[in-house]
Amino acid sequence: MHKIVPSLVMAAVSVALTGCMQSEQQDAKVTINKNPYPSTYQVLPSQKTLIQNATVLVGNGERIENADVLFMDGKIVQVAQGLPTDGATVVDGSDKWVTPGVIDVHSHLGVYPSPSVESHADGNEMTSPNTSEVWAEHSVWPQDPGFQNARAGGVTTLQLLPGSANLFGGRGVTLKNVPSHTMQGMKFPEAPYGLKMACGENPKRVYGSRKEAPGTRMGNMAGYRMAWAEATEYKRAWEKYEADYAAGKKPQAPTRDIELDTLKGVLDGDILIHNHCYKAEEMAMMIDLGKEFNYHSGTFHHAIEGYKIADMLAENGNCAAMWPDWWGFKMEAYDMVEENVAIVDAVKNSCAVVHSDSGTTIQRLNQEAGKIMYRANDNGFDLKEEDAIVWITSNAAKSLGIDDKTGSLVKGKAADVVLWNTNPFSVYAQADQVFVDGAKVYDRYDEKYQAQSDFMLGQE
Amino acid sequence: MKLFKSSLVALALAGATAANAASLAITNAKVHTATSAGVLENATVVIDNGVITAINPESVTADQSIDAQGKVLTPGFIASMNQLGLVEVSAVASSRDASDKKADITFDASLAFNPKSTAIPLTRKGGITRSVVAPRGGDDMFKGQTFVANMSGDFDSVLAANGAVVVELGAESKGSRAMALQKLSNKLEDAEKALAKAKKDDKDDKKDVKRDAQVINALLAGEKPLIAHVDRATDILAVLAMKERFGLNLVLAGAADSVLVMEEIAKANVPVVMSAMRNLPGSFDSLHTNLANAGKLSKAGIKVIITVDGDTHNTHLLRFTVGNAVANGMDYDAALASVTANVADVFGLDSGKIEVGKAADIVLWSADPFELSTKAEQLWISGEAQVLESRQDKLRDRYTTDSDMPRAYIK
Repeated sequence: MHKIVPSLVMAAVSVALTGCMQSEQQDAKVTINKNPYPSTYQVLPSQKTLIQNATVLVGNGERIENADVLFMDGKIVQVAQGLPTDGATVVDGSDKWVTPGVIDVHSHLGVYPSPSVESHADGNEMTSPNTSEVWAEHSVWPQDPGFQNARAGGVTTLQLLPGSANLFGGRGVTLKNVPSHTMQGMKFPEAPYGLKMACGENPKRVYGSRKEAPGTRMGNMAGYRMAWAEATEYKRAWEKYEADYAAGKKPQAPTRDIELDTLKGVLDGDILIHNHCYKAEEMAMMIDLGKEFNYHSGTFHHAIEGYKIADMLAENGNCAAMWPDWWGFKMEAYDMVEENVAIVDAVKNSCAVVHSDSGTTIQRLNQEAGKIMYRANDNGFDLKEEDAIVWITSNAAKSLGIDDKTGSLVKGKAADVVLWNTNPFSVYAQADQVFVDGAKVYDRYDEKYQAQSDFMLGQE
Repeated sequence: MKLFKSSLVALALAGATAANAASLAITNAKVHTATSAGVLENATVVIDNGVITAINPESVTADQSIDAQGKVLTPGFIASMNQLGLVEVSAVASSRDASDKKADITFDASLAFNPKSTAIPLTRKGGITRSVVAPRGGDDMFKGQTFVANMSGDFDSVLAANGAVVVELGAESKGSRAMALQKLSNKLEDAEKALAKAKKDDKDDKKDVKRDAQVINALLAGEKPLIAHVDRATDILAVLAMKERFGLNLVLAGAADSVLVMEEIAKANVPVVMSAMRNLPGSFDSLHTNLANAGKLSKAGIKVIITVDGDTHNTHLLRFTVGNAVANGMDYDAALASVTANVADVFGLDSGKIEVGKAADIVLWSADPFELSTKAEQLWISGEAQVLESRQDKLRDRYTTDSDMPRAYIK
């Protein structure tokens, strides 16, 4: 200990001296590393694969009967009838269906894992209404057995979000649903970060009950506005620093603020908003809030009342992520309609998404979408399987900002593929095989492809 | 006031007459009887005066007739262990009546049942005609007693109160699970001793037996089922031992790790009430939950009752959870029984089967009732045709109807 202290002093002195001597020149430019916890994801062993003679839902609204799906080197090569085998591993898809890998935009796997013991409750930093500084990825327990169950349900990509107690809950992270013993080993390369926000009952209840702000919905709005105003100043300060530096001046870099870094990331367009927001009137205000502070209001999650403002959502380019039929657990979840997703989807340029927010229903997002399709068709809609699959694949990818990489079986996109035993919108549907980037990660009939978390290993 | 009362009575009588006056024959149905008669193709079911009066009679005599066109007719499904009618909005305390801090073994939540809850029409649309509603209780390990209500939405929905006793055992966030097991065992033993003493003293006066003791005595006499919420295999074995020792009419609920002790449960002839969708190891008590468990238990000869886990508002999804049990290996007829005949058998209900003499709680489906694409087309409770529209439908129609006036004018 005694030894360390003087050497530290020496170091500080030498830095100061260096600074003085080179006063004619600019200091090294201060930059912020936007990716300090980079993905180390590696594609699992894969081979050129041809699934033959299946009903294929492409994920872009198309459906091709008796089609073959060819993928190689992690990418979709072609979807068409009668493709040559050509050295590929052949999978018989007769009487089966193929879809893109399922994407869940709202999961708490890993951050609220099973078993749900106190030691694992890492999903919500409920200590301040603005915790933009926390990142969900720092809470992920990759051994959550729920990841395996979700994979058996065809889920290949998922966004883990912080909880909804805060106005700003922190950053979400998008993962590939592959087994790994580190978070970085699952992290989806180049997926943008999300920022979790929350409207309504939760923040005002959590903080209001502590006699802290916010205690009302108007308190919620004030909280967002003050935060965005501060973030705007922070962004301006950095931009001024960068401009001055570029002009050869010797500006002092603004003091780094981890919380404001995230909000600035939103204002810069690097981080996407994912807002827990049930009610029509609140979503309408959140859209205006984005306009007030020059950011896009992003995706509304749990948008129970999306159907009341379907036009507004489409006009403003907002995705809405919804359940088919959960309701009644809170006042803001009282006005559920089973056709919500279909009504939101029916508007031109809409982006309707079906999400889970549950370790249970994430295993059956296909059924969740199916219920919506059928209830809507019972009531005047004419939706087909090729329409419904979009809600859990390409629209979900769009919401996460990864639709250029995955979400449909289009040439050049990631070979994230599910082979279903039957029509995926049947209650009897099960994923037979699941591929991530062309590598088989799950096979219902081959234990070799059934991963097990460390936690479950050896439990009797 | 007198006038008002008598007019109410008149109205009630008129309603009853209207409901039961006309007899009805449903012809050409694929009837899943949920009895040993199995599935009857092109069958006719006659209902009269609220009950099933004939199946495939030689000649049909009924005031009305419906051609089912080969569609599926099943008993109305019976939901269980939910809080239907006891909660409107889960997070709104003043709309919740299923629990009370001071509730004990005598707690009768049927007094709070609200047939006008908006959850009930939605539940009905899921093909559910009755529910075994369970109280959530309070601090005591006994949560109170179940009651049975139909899903008609009428003010006379409660059919039977003070049913099974619900007890919660297993993992404790504070303290040891041993304490509750010990307490339960001691209570039963003490009551048994008191009964023996009373018998010896030839005391026949039941008046001085306290209310809670009366309930315990009913458990000892096997008159009331005891529903034990347990997950871990050791807890299951512990209550099976108590059943053996005290002659209880035991029902296991939850029973996450029951696959580990299936043989013991089957041998003791104890039914299991479970969710078919539970497959995450939520705690160290439930490391063996699996989607295949309902099928496995059923194959082992255990009477399985399937419920919807979690929020009561999701009860309408019961039929899909049953479909998932089938998808994961449960026999189709056993699955159907898990929400009809088995519930009736375990809780002593006169519905749940398409059989002469049973209550005419029946559902006509567009196709396989467990399939997502299917819907309940017609539903009768005690022979009375029910409306299959909920508040959710009205909201949908309001927001999908074109109008140049604000939505508030669309009703």
